[in-house]
Amino acid sequence: MQGVSVEIEKGRVTAIGGPSGSGKTTLLSLIGLLTRPTKGKILYDDKDLSSVSEVYRTRVRRNRIGFIFQAQYLIPQLTAIENVALPKLCMDVPRSEAERQAAERLVALGMSHRLGFRVAELSGGEQQRVSIARSLMNSPDVLIADEPGASMDEDLTAELLSALRGMVDEHGLTVIVASHDQKVLDWADKRLNMRDGKIVT
Amino acid sequence: MEFIRTGVEVDVASSVGEGPDLIVQRLVGGRQAQIPAAWIENVSATDGVRVATPRVWGYAEAGAGRLITIMGVNATDYGNVFGAVGTSILAGGRFIEEGDTRKMVVGQGIVDMMAASGSSLLIDVGSTLSLIAYNGSLIEFQVVGIFTSESRIYSYDLILTDLTSAGAVLGTDNISYTDIAVWVELGSNVNSVALQMDTSISEARILTKGAMGTMMLRTYGDRAGIVALLWATVLLVVVLLAFSASSAGSDEYRREVGLLKALGFDTVDVLEIRMFEAITLGLLGASLGISSAIVYDFVLNAPLVAGYMLGWNLVLLNGGIPLAISLPTVFTVFAVALVPIMVATVLPSWRNAITEPDVVLRGV
Repeated sequence: MQGVSVEIEKGRVTAIGGPSGSGKTTLLSLIGLLTRPTKGKILYDDKDLSSVSEVYRTRVRRNRIGFIFQAQYLIPQLTAIENVALPKLCMDVPRSEAERQAAERLVALGMSHRLGFRVAELSGGEQQRVSIARSLMNSPDVLIADEPGASMDEDLTAELLSALRGMVDEHGLTVIVASHDQKVLDWADKRLNMRDGKIVT
Repeated sequence: MEFIRTGVEVDVASSVGEGPDLIVQRLVGGRQAQIPAAWIENVSATDGVRVATPRVWGYAEAGAGRLITIMGVNATDYGNVFGAVGTSILAGGRFIEEGDTRKMVVGQGIVDMMAASGSSLLIDVGSTLSLIAYNGSLIEFQVVGIFTSESRIYSYDLILTDLTSAGAVLGTDNISYTDIAVWVELGSNVNSVALQMDTSISEARILTKGAMGTMMLRTYGDRAGIVALLWATVLLVVVLLAFSASSAGSDEYRREVGLLKALGFDTVDVLEIRMFEAITLGLLGASLGISSAIVYDFVLNAPLVAGYMLGWNLVLLNGGIPLAISLPTVFTVFAVALVPIMVATVLPSWRNAITEPDVVLRGV
């Protein structure tokens, strides 16, 4: 990253475009507190989180940030419902309650018939839906999505974008999405382009 | 192997525990020779000796390569010494008595042997059993009791009778004996009594319980040293396997930790999860291992392993290999299963948990 200075508006969708290797995922990792910058600050509501303790950053991730990873990062030994329930379990919510809420999320994404299937038994699109459901489990303020439309067909992508738009409009969710998909980039309220670690537009 | 080794030690301890405090033998030219009757008085006169009683014993073949031990004792002396020949006689039987001739008490192995031979004759109290004497003649005995004993090595295949009857079977005269069994007075030092005898009676070899135990362990348990080598090998294998499965080099494990941190699990949470996983796997593995060992040893009689551990001495064990499960062994197995797995699992997990999630997830 070189001299990147970006302001993400609350309750809006910000898309980051650019070729592979331009630094999109790194920027998302910095915003999502998955890594620390070597220089500079990351401000959430004017509080600098770049230098606070890892324990504090973990708590922020737990309570305020949802992730849709490009590689999904689902735990293969767990079922769909167990994967989605994970964020609730780290908040000491009883397992039965966590799985009940997870089931609701998955049903809303059309996965009612696949709740008990292990990850390896799910198609790419189904795995992506599980990843999306998991990212929304803790009702985050900020949703960070890295190529959310990957592995999904056009209809499903449109469905996802529509659902996210609903959450943005109704609940003030802030969405930051990195994508190659022009439809996703066009759907956003604000668009940034990156090249070689810099914001070019 | 641990069960066999422990079984041998427990059995030897029972054997030695059941027998006399000292055994006096006569050595001539380095070989055991018959003891003249005059020795009994000399031995009895030694300070600290409570009972010194002569014994005549030897081995007889029982067919199919099996050996049985025939022992003649003084019924009164032996009967008066508590725990002389096993813990008890089975109900309905009795020990041999003063004046008994051609009466015997047999070990459970003799009963089992006859039952296994398919003979219509089943040994019980009151049965008549003939022994083939040294000269080929048959001598009839009546069974008056059957031993039950904690020692499979010692009395399982033992036939106990009076001195004269044993001599008739083994071909010894009535004025010499195979050895003298000695019990010392309560409170006397066994080694001191042994030393007195050793210095006062030439040609005598005095065996203490400790020496007898050592000899028996050498006979049956000499190869148990291999167990220590196996433990070290198993431990190393466990550590290597656990480490390779859970180390930072294992992508899946690493990403899992990174994901949990990204989702909001604290480092402590991650370590708890990994520890619980390691403990569960370790306990399951150890339990499965012990269960398999019990089946292999107790049900299948440890094929191959028993032969290696006991060598030709396995042939002498008509009652099967001695087996025992000791708590220290079980504890050691669980410790070996749990500790290395926990170390090999938790340490890499901790390392990954304190690393930035992005680095861990991407494997940079």
